[in-house]
Amino acid sequence: MGDKKNDILQGTLVLLVLRTLASNKKMHGYAITARIHQVSEELLRVEEGSLYPALHRMEQEGWIKAEWGKTEKNREARFYTLTALGKKRLQQEEESWRRLTEGVARVIRYA
Amino acid sequence: MAWYRQFRNTLRPNRLQRDLRKELAFHVAERAEELRESGMTQAEAERTAHLQFGNLTAQIERTRDMDIPEYLEAMLRNLRLAVRSLAKAPAFSLTVILTLALGIGANSAVFSAIDAVLLRPLPFPNGDALLLITQAQLKSPEPSVAPIRLEEWNRLNSTLQGITGYDSQDSSELSGELPEKLKHVFAAPRFLQVLGVAPALGRDFSPQEEHFGGPDAAIISDHLWRRRFNGSSDVLRKTLRFGTSSFAIVGVMPPSFQFPDRDVDVWSPSPPDAPYSQSRESTWYTAIGRLKPGVTLAQARDNLMTVQSNLARQFPKPDAEISPRVAPLKESTIGGVRRSLWILFGSVSLLLLIACTNIAALLMSRSTGRQQEIAVRFSLGATRASVAAQQLAEVLVLALVGAALGLLVAMGASTVFRSLARDLPRIEEIGLNWRIVLYCLACALATTLLSGLIPAVRSTRRSLAESLAQAGRSQVSGRNPLQLALVAAQVAFAVTLLAGAGLLLRSFQELGRVYPGFDPRHVLTLHISTGWGETADPKGSKQRMDRILDGLSSLPGVESAASAAMLPGVPNEYQLDLDTSEGRAESEPKMRAYARFVTPSYFATMGIPLHAGELCRDEPGRAGIMVNRSFANHFLGGVAGIGRHLTVPGNAYMTPGEIRGIVGDAREAGLDHEPQPTVYWCNNLLQPGTFFLARTHGEPAAMTETVRRKIHELEPMRSVYDITPLSDHISDAYAENRLRTILLSCFAVTAVSLACVGLYGTLSYLVSLRRREVALRLALGALRNQVVGQFLAVGLRTAIFGCLAGLVLAAGFARLLSGMLFGVSPTDGATIAGVLAIVLAVSAAASLIPAVRAARVEPMQALREE
Repeated sequence: MGDKKNDILQGTLVLLVLRTLASNKKMHGYAITARIHQVSEELLRVEEGSLYPALHRMEQEGWIKAEWGKTEKNREARFYTLTALGKKRLQQEEESWRRLTEGVARVIRYA
Repeated sequence: MAWYRQFRNTLRPNRLQRDLRKELAFHVAERAEELRESGMTQAEAERTAHLQFGNLTAQIERTRDMDIPEYLEAMLRNLRLAVRSLAKAPAFSLTVILTLALGIGANSAVFSAIDAVLLRPLPFPNGDALLLITQAQLKSPEPSVAPIRLEEWNRLNSTLQGITGYDSQDSSELSGELPEKLKHVFAAPRFLQVLGVAPALGRDFSPQEEHFGGPDAAIISDHLWRRRFNGSSDVLRKTLRFGTSSFAIVGVMPPSFQFPDRDVDVWSPSPPDAPYSQSRESTWYTAIGRLKPGVTLAQARDNLMTVQSNLARQFPKPDAEISPRVAPLKESTIGGVRRSLWILFGSVSLLLLIACTNIAALLMSRSTGRQQEIAVRFSLGATRASVAAQQLAEVLVLALVGAALGLLVAMGASTVFRSLARDLPRIEEIGLNWRIVLYCLACALATTLLSGLIPAVRSTRRSLAESLAQAGRSQVSGRNPLQLALVAAQVAFAVTLLAGAGLLLRSFQELGRVYPGFDPRHVLTLHISTGWGETADPKGSKQRMDRILDGLSSLPGVESAASAAMLPGVPNEYQLDLDTSEGRAESEPKMRAYARFVTPSYFATMGIPLHAGELCRDEPGRAGIMVNRSFANHFLGGVAGIGRHLTVPGNAYMTPGEIRGIVGDAREAGLDHEPQPTVYWCNNLLQPGTFFLARTHGEPAAMTETVRRKIHELEPMRSVYDITPLSDHISDAYAENRLRTILLSCFAVTAVSLACVGLYGTLSYLVSLRRREVALRLALGALRNQVVGQFLAVGLRTAIFGCLAGLVLAAGFARLLSGMLFGVSPTDGATIAGVLAIVLAVSAAASLIPAVRAARVEPMQALREE
């Protein structure tokens, strides 16, 4: 906690969630946080307070859809999957992320 | 999709809340488990997980905001609140709902008529492409088209998909026990193709059936099928019998197909190659065409003109004199009803406007009473918009309920329309459909804005709200000029409608009072079925006519009997250009007159006096002619004209005749038309559509059975139908007039009542507001009469302002009506004085009640109350 550096940059959360869902069929909110944490080798930590509003907004946008299901430990959880619209969105998000990092990198290098 | 999900979430807030809690709790539990696995104790793990996650309720709220759009939620909350607060004021709510049910209902009812008659296309596929094609011929008023020319136009034009035509007669069908009159339409080829409707059962006519000498075939209407054949499908093996030929039934039309009118029973082909169809002179078809896609009316007109001018080179006589006319079939079907309906719609919209104004005044009174509540809401941080929206929501709820009730009113309206004006074109198409429902909804929204916006904006004016909330106790006198102005507006609109209704009523009265020059009372009219084919034997036809007339007049209770091609007093426009065989100077006015065809007994039967000369006789070889006084005076120098001969140039049918006598002027062409120069051809020819007229001693309707039996005895193979008193025919001819007058009067009475309720309500409210002031003045010695006078003056002043404004509006309205008036001028003083007297008297009564109530205040009690 308090380690602000590892908090996710505003606006990239959507990209991370979409990307995570793209390579995993069906995940609940906690699994998404855990997965991002693990894949980023603990560099990134999803702020739990912003995850669920983001997930529900993306659901309303139609990028992901949700259904209730059971976990391996037989607990009821809400599982999210990517929709076709979400896949398209992911491409856009990835593209804009690429451009952003490229731009920032150039500025760092040459400015 | 998102929209739908959000909407669903808004409607099920509890379920959403439960799901959210479950989802977030799961997250916290998972985190706690992970922490425990990494070595924490159960309690520690749970605490840490919760801390890490933050305030669960706050998280739920934030997530929930993503699922529910704020505006939807606010709207729902407003509506719920509105229902609750309206339920607490049932008298107010009921008044508004009933006012709106009446206003919206009447408005939707008239709209349903406008929609059915004016807006919707004719009930044929692509009905707007259908045209009525007529011909204009020099010196002849005849608009119908010769069969041979119709075929040529159809063949030679390039802008129409097809041209067809029809002609109808009432025939006697003989296959049943008694002869039954059926309306029989004879159709040119392509009839059903041009109209675009196929038989529901069976088939269209075959080419053989459309050839002269081919088999006789009939397609029957849905209602004949149900009436005579019980809707059975073996009808296609049955026949109908007309005269000596039997017609095989080859098809049944769908119920929606009622062309040319709703009375038609049977359609049969009229062969274009028949010998009687080859004349270029004899015209009898009403022609209908269908535009090719993308072709305009003007193009079709030009095209037909070109076709006809080519024909004119080929057949100079008579084609050079003929030119085709085209008009949308819908326009010619609707005729003059358009104006009437729009005027009714305007009136009924004015009525709705009065209702809205009324409600606006009511709302303002109500919101002044709720200043406390509004002030509290402001002080709790509500925005002005949200307070105003909440008030609008209340009006919306009332308007929706009112509109729903109004829909019931509109549903009943088609019945009313049908009973008031049977002859209105397309009236059977008026009914409830989704367009009317949508219109009702739109009305509800419009009334919400019209009546709710001003009060909502005014009552939420912050400074006003606060100052008034504080002023409650010490207030002595409140001025409410806006409320009184709204009441004055209502009075103005009511005066407008009442003046219009008054003018129409006076016209109606004048119409009943005018002496038409003939006596329409105690006359029974009837038709006897006959075909055009029979007119080929004029001698037999004349004998039959004489036998029938002798039979009728020999009946006890019948004074005399006659026949006529047209009914007296029922408007028609059959005019001819005439000439005399003795020749006329160029300087003399062109002879143009109404033409009527009657038997010599007509004048005695109708009570038209003989002024000079003798009565005509139907003599073989030369027609006897009677002229009316106007004709004689106008064209022939009075009595000197007797003995001269009249001809109809260019018309082969009208044999020249000698003027035998002069009869009195009569309003033959309609009660509202001044008598015009008229020429009567006397003949005893029995033709389809001929009216028989019998003057009875007593009530004509009582003779119906006697007359029917007598004719059945004389002519057992013919059917007798439409046995109706002449006065009914005349009154039906003015059905549109009557509908207009009755409806406008109803609207006007409603408008005056609404305006009175408005005046009464507003004044009562003012009185309640100034109770303390009145009590104080009474305690200080004011007389009760003075108090009454003071409030009465407020009410009357408002009414007078309203009347003055109303007079200006009424002048405009009267100008719109001027073409529909008879015997009264649009600025008729008596009508206006009457309207003002009624409105002022009713306003005085409406003001008196609250004024007296104000004066009854018990000073001590009122002052002690607070």
